Amino acid sequence: MIKVSNLYHSYNKDEHYAVKDVSFEVEEGEIFGFLGPSGAGKSTTQNIMTGLLQLQKGNVTVAGYDVKTISNKMFNQIGMSFEESNVYSKLSAKENLEFYRKLFDVETRDPMELLRLVGLHDKADIRAGEFSKGMKHRLTFARSMINNPTLWFLDEPTTGLDPAIASEIKGIIREQNKKGVTIFLTTHNMYIADELCDRVAFIVDGELLLIDSPRNLKLQYGDKLVEVEYIKEGETIKESFSTIQKEDLDKLQEVIGKYEIQTMHTKEATLEEIFIKVTGRELV
Amino acid sequence: MKLWHSFLKEMKLSARGFYFYVEILVAVIILVMILFVVPENFRSVEDEYLFYDWPEGVFEEFVLPTLMEDDLDGKIESVEVEGDDILYPAQLIESEGTRYYIFESEEAVLRLTDLDRPKIGAIIRMDEQSQPYYEYYLQGYETQRLRNVYSIFHILDFDLMEAEFESQEVRSLTDGYLELSDRENIVPAMLTFNGSMMGVFIIAAYIFLDKQSGIIKAYAITASSVWQYLMSKVLVVLVSTILSTVIIVVPIMRLQPNYGILFVLLLASGLFSSTLGLVVASFYRNMMQAFGILYFLMIGLMLPAIAYFTPSWNPAWVQWIPTYPLIQAFKETILVNGDIGYVAWVSLGFFIASGILFVFANARYKKTLVS
Repeated sequence: MIKVSNLYHSYNKDEHYAVKDVSFEVEEGEIFGFLGPSGAGKSTTQNIMTGLLQLQKGNVTVAGYDVKTISNKMFNQIGMSFEESNVYSKLSAKENLEFYRKLFDVETRDPMELLRLVGLHDKADIRAGEFSKGMKHRLTFARSMINNPTLWFLDEPTTGLDPAIASEIKGIIREQNKKGVTIFLTTHNMYIADELCDRVAFIVDGELLLIDSPRNLKLQYGDKLVEVEYIKEGETIKESFSTIQKEDLDKLQEVIGKYEIQTMHTKEATLEEIFIKVTGRELV
Repeated sequence: MKLWHSFLKEMKLSARGFYFYVEILVAVIILVMILFVVPENFRSVEDEYLFYDWPEGVFEEFVLPTLMEDDLDGKIESVEVEGDDILYPAQLIESEGTRYYIFESEEAVLRLTDLDRPKIGAIIRMDEQSQPYYEYYLQGYETQRLRNVYSIFHILDFDLMEAEFESQEVRSLTDGYLELSDRENIVPAMLTFNGSMMGVFIIAAYIFLDKQSGIIKAYAITASSVWQYLMSKVLVVLVSTILSTVIIVVPIMRLQPNYGILFVLLLASGLFSSTLGLVVASFYRNMMQAFGILYFLMIGLMLPAIAYFTPSWNPAWVQWIPTYPLIQAFKETILVNGDIGYVAWVSLGFFIASGILFVFANARYKKTLVS
């Protein structure tokens, strides 16, 4: 669905690249997470893929279209939800969606259905300028689905949303993916990436450092330990045991057999910990 | 159809916005000013302070009757003119374009001419041959031409001059070419700057609003083209241009203008100003950044108005500024029997220039959508 090879981009058209030799592919039906801290090159890469920035060096194919010779038809297939809400504040929520649906050459979705999906159906006739930040964000999110995209770019889709709404948004993303929509998710939130993505890519300082599935990354970089809390002679003891070393395994069996176990967890590394381990950088 | 929907959306946004009404309000203010503040024709009345240094009785017998011939009410008024807390008595004779204050002393004329800067003073004496001669007291800023007129004015016989003047035949090259009143004469300049050139500011403001809110990016991720986005804005500016023009022209000129060619010229000039605004806005992120160049541009475009209202100042370089032919062309559209051919050529020029600017703007916006 997306093929990027040897992509470079410099805003000043000099040797200071915002994106340097980036290559990756996204398969059809996949949720691909593009992770990195602010200023890492995520938005630059995404803007090039969506034609907002001109391709300077490298090759990019999106939904079968070469972005060097970008065609308006390509946009019939893609949708994009921006991190910063960008809707017409003087138009109502419904008017916003009604307008955008007329800019596509494909079958579009009913604005009211989309507003219902994101919980804004009772605010359909209210001007977007009167919306809270979170409501505007949901409207921007709903708008990105208006043309039934087969490739969906999501830039920080849950930023600024309360946990309940964020959970609904994640549900919608999963639902769309089940229908076969390919999703390119740009975020610095490792939890949403961990929950949703089939594969993730880490980008830092314009360079792509790693691509793999969250599961593989955890297996590869996570500590293989079990943390156990048990009661011994009236006292609560907390201990970690390796799941690889025989000596630790024997000791673990002994603890389980002799004492009252209060808690027992396998210790998995989070994506964030793996990111820090791999890149040496925090996700700020 | 996408252009049509974008245009409808832009109209809706404009109707709910601020800038659209600013343009309409400015047009209404201009109309009120022209109708109620600007007189139909400017009538400048000049004050002259005079002292006749002539023997007793000569002035009353020979000069006064001549001056009285032109007096509006046929009466001499006794007045007092104040200067430096002193009241100077004078006789006032008021003709069509001049008020003559005839003072009793030379000192009064010199003092008051010195105090009242716009005034002209004159002492009229009698030479040894009993012929009058004039001493004029000017303010110093008068043109050399005016000074020359005063220098030679009294050399010739006044009766002979008047007879020669009356005998001259003056014919217009074009029949039925009526001149505009002073009030109507303001309309072409107002149409140029409010109706047309205001578009530069208005469209730049629309673009900057979209840039700041990021809407321009959302539009770019649709199957609609950048040119449709830009053209929808241009069309809105054209609508407000036509509206504000109608507000000014119809009440003042009524049915006199050739409205067909006027609207053609309006479309051409409105297109030009809005595409110029698009090009300027493509280089900046917000109105603050662009304000300097927009201000500079507007001042430059207004210079031909000085040439229009001051025909003696008409340097060749001013004639290269696009608003110079535009003002003249607007004048032709509201004149009875105006030069339609000239208006057509000017309109064609503006259409071509607008086309070039629009193509350039389109290329710029395609490249700089996220900047």
